[in-house]
Amino acid sequence: MKIKTFVTASAVAAVLGAMSPAWAQQTVTWWDFFVGGDGVRMKALIDEFNAEHPDIEVKATSLEWGVPFYSKVRTSAAVGQGPDVMTYHLSRMPLGLSEGVLSPITEDDLQAAGLSEGDFFETALDAARDPSGQLHAVPFDIHSIVLYYNKSFLEGSRFLDEEGNLTGIESVADFEEAMQVAAENGSETPLTYATGDDGGAYRVFYTLLAQQGGTLISEDGEVLPGDSTDKAVKAVEIMTKWHEEGWQPEQALYEASVALFTSGKSAFQLNGVWEVPTMKDLEEGGKLGFEWGAVEVPKLMDSQTTWADSHAFAIPHQGDKEMSPEKREAVMTVIGWMEKHAISWAGAGHIPAYKPVAESEEFTTMQPNATYATLADRATYDPRSEVAGVASPAYDAAENIISPAMHGYMSPEEAVEQVKSELQSRMN
Amino acid sequence: MAMIRNKARHRLVAVSLILPFVAIFALVFAYPVVEVVRMSFTNAPLIGGGEWIGLDNYIRLFSDKLFYTSVVNNGYFVLLTVIPTTVIALGIALAVNRLSGRMQALVLVMFFTPYVLPVSVVTQIWAWMLDFQFGILQPVIEFFTGKSVPVFKNPNWVMPTVATVTIWWTNGFNVLLFLAGLRNIPTELYEAAALDGATRRQLFWRITWPLLWPVTALVLTLQLILQLKIFDQIYLLSEGGPFNSSYVLLLMVYREAFQLNHGGYAAAISLVLFLLIVVISVLQFQILRIGGKGK
Repeated sequence: MKIKTFVTASAVAAVLGAMSPAWAQQTVTWWDFFVGGDGVRMKALIDEFNAEHPDIEVKATSLEWGVPFYSKVRTSAAVGQGPDVMTYHLSRMPLGLSEGVLSPITEDDLQAAGLSEGDFFETALDAARDPSGQLHAVPFDIHSIVLYYNKSFLEGSRFLDEEGNLTGIESVADFEEAMQVAAENGSETPLTYATGDDGGAYRVFYTLLAQQGGTLISEDGEVLPGDSTDKAVKAVEIMTKWHEEGWQPEQALYEASVALFTSGKSAFQLNGVWEVPTMKDLEEGGKLGFEWGAVEVPKLMDSQTTWADSHAFAIPHQGDKEMSPEKREAVMTVIGWMEKHAISWAGAGHIPAYKPVAESEEFTTMQPNATYATLADRATYDPRSEVAGVASPAYDAAENIISPAMHGYMSPEEAVEQVKSELQSRMN
Repeated sequence: MAMIRNKARHRLVAVSLILPFVAIFALVFAYPVVEVVRMSFTNAPLIGGGEWIGLDNYIRLFSDKLFYTSVVNNGYFVLLTVIPTTVIALGIALAVNRLSGRMQALVLVMFFTPYVLPVSVVTQIWAWMLDFQFGILQPVIEFFTGKSVPVFKNPNWVMPTVATVTIWWTNGFNVLLFLAGLRNIPTELYEAAALDGATRRQLFWRITWPLLWPVTALVLTLQLILQLKIFDQIYLLSEGGPFNSSYVLLLMVYREAFQLNHGGYAAAISLVLFLLIVVISVLQFQILRIGGKGK
């Protein structure tokens, strides 16, 4: 009797199960690499999405940033064990394309998400395309380095306007003068960035190179073509000078570099917009002890541009399997929802890549984002190369060669030569 | 008839006993080795097949400057660790051997504890202690050199520092091996020698050292193989920098395979490393054996 009931029950369950796609819940597996202040905000967004959508459940996992993340994506996608959706740095797009991990985002996909290409900043959108113009990811934000400043060291100088905002930095000479002023006003290390880490050294170097119109890797794969070599030398020379003058910390790792600014020892910080939440949280907790601001990196050289990258959403291939249309629709629903709620993500300092949010009143009045939001249009992305982008040989070269060079272990010329040969040899 | 059947049964038992090992060995060692050899002749990415490209990977490898830098660094690291760690372990073992009872156990535990820690913990501890801005060991360095040194960012300091960390971490195991060796030496030998009026020095060089030689040879060989495979500490502490002064072969394998998606090339490098280890360790063991016989 009991067995019979069990069989009946199972049969009923099986029939219901077979019928279910019509109204069943879709589970969307999600991988990201946000573990800091932005991770908290992303988790809040996911929770909100789940609460609003009884038919879709996002199951999120945060993994370790960098090479571990990208190799895990690569291996899991190959055997069909990858996530349904993941975050991806657009600077890693060339690698993703060469690995064949990313499935194309079609017109229909965008429609399912309620999005269209015209909704996005062109710079970010371009970075998400393959050479034929096909999208392989949906850009979520634009993030770059900005110049944070501590007003207390600049008071009474020409570098603060009447409202107490940073002004008057239009060249390297101006910037160095401002650092000198700050040093005289008691700033221990007037400028801080992660001088001993890959990201810190790379982003400052790349910004200085880009501001001179230099190219790190040309489209046909030449490293520092033509006079870009001299421009790169110039960039390293500037950073070396900052070290020699004692304006920037020696061999600072990332955390130490942030601590120097937040503890009020540095007048300036060149760091990513992702540290905005840190500053805001400290300020709200009354633990900061000084007034701060953040602006787009000033025009120090010939043109105003800054290193930038984008977080984006991508759908990896599922091995030999094909993602069911229902699942794909659910995934695109998640992506579309996230884009439209990117204002919460902007709270993590980022600039939304989705224009309706970036142009909304809520964002245009958000501080300090609104101050530096202008950079979205004139940012310089990493070169499109498999050896560039986050956690790439280009980043390694910054830690391995540029950082020691500016600390006096090697001349700028030699360092640039070595960067060149290193990157060129990794490219074959 | 009975004999034959018995023989067949014997064979069956033998095969059934060996089979599990052979199967596992074939699956997790022999097959991967064959695959690595095959892959090293292709341009395969990290996952999936590639085209046969013959010796291209090897030609590229032997013209890659980074390869030679890595080989030299591997050699330098072996020099910095293998003999020092053996000598230190022998010294500690001799000292510990003089202690007895609880005291001996306690001291032994102290020396062995680091070995229990995972590499990530070990490197984190040392990275903090040696941090350029906040490290508690920087005043010590300052005392000797006059200024703080970013040890993992300085081309002269990085390998010796990684070697020091490695020796601190792995020494406990070698101490245990030596201690076991020391306990195997019959005490009568010492007593007889003492009756004949042998000095401390004579006791060591005439009894302890020759009888301990097999253990010493073993420790040296194990260390050589282990240190040629250096990867974790370098990856976690210096990432091969500054300007490749701590780049080693396994780091090159990792970067090529996982960062750049060059499976075939990485296979070629790892095969070269594998052969290097086989040749050097066999060579070393033979030399040590001959050395041992001469005594």
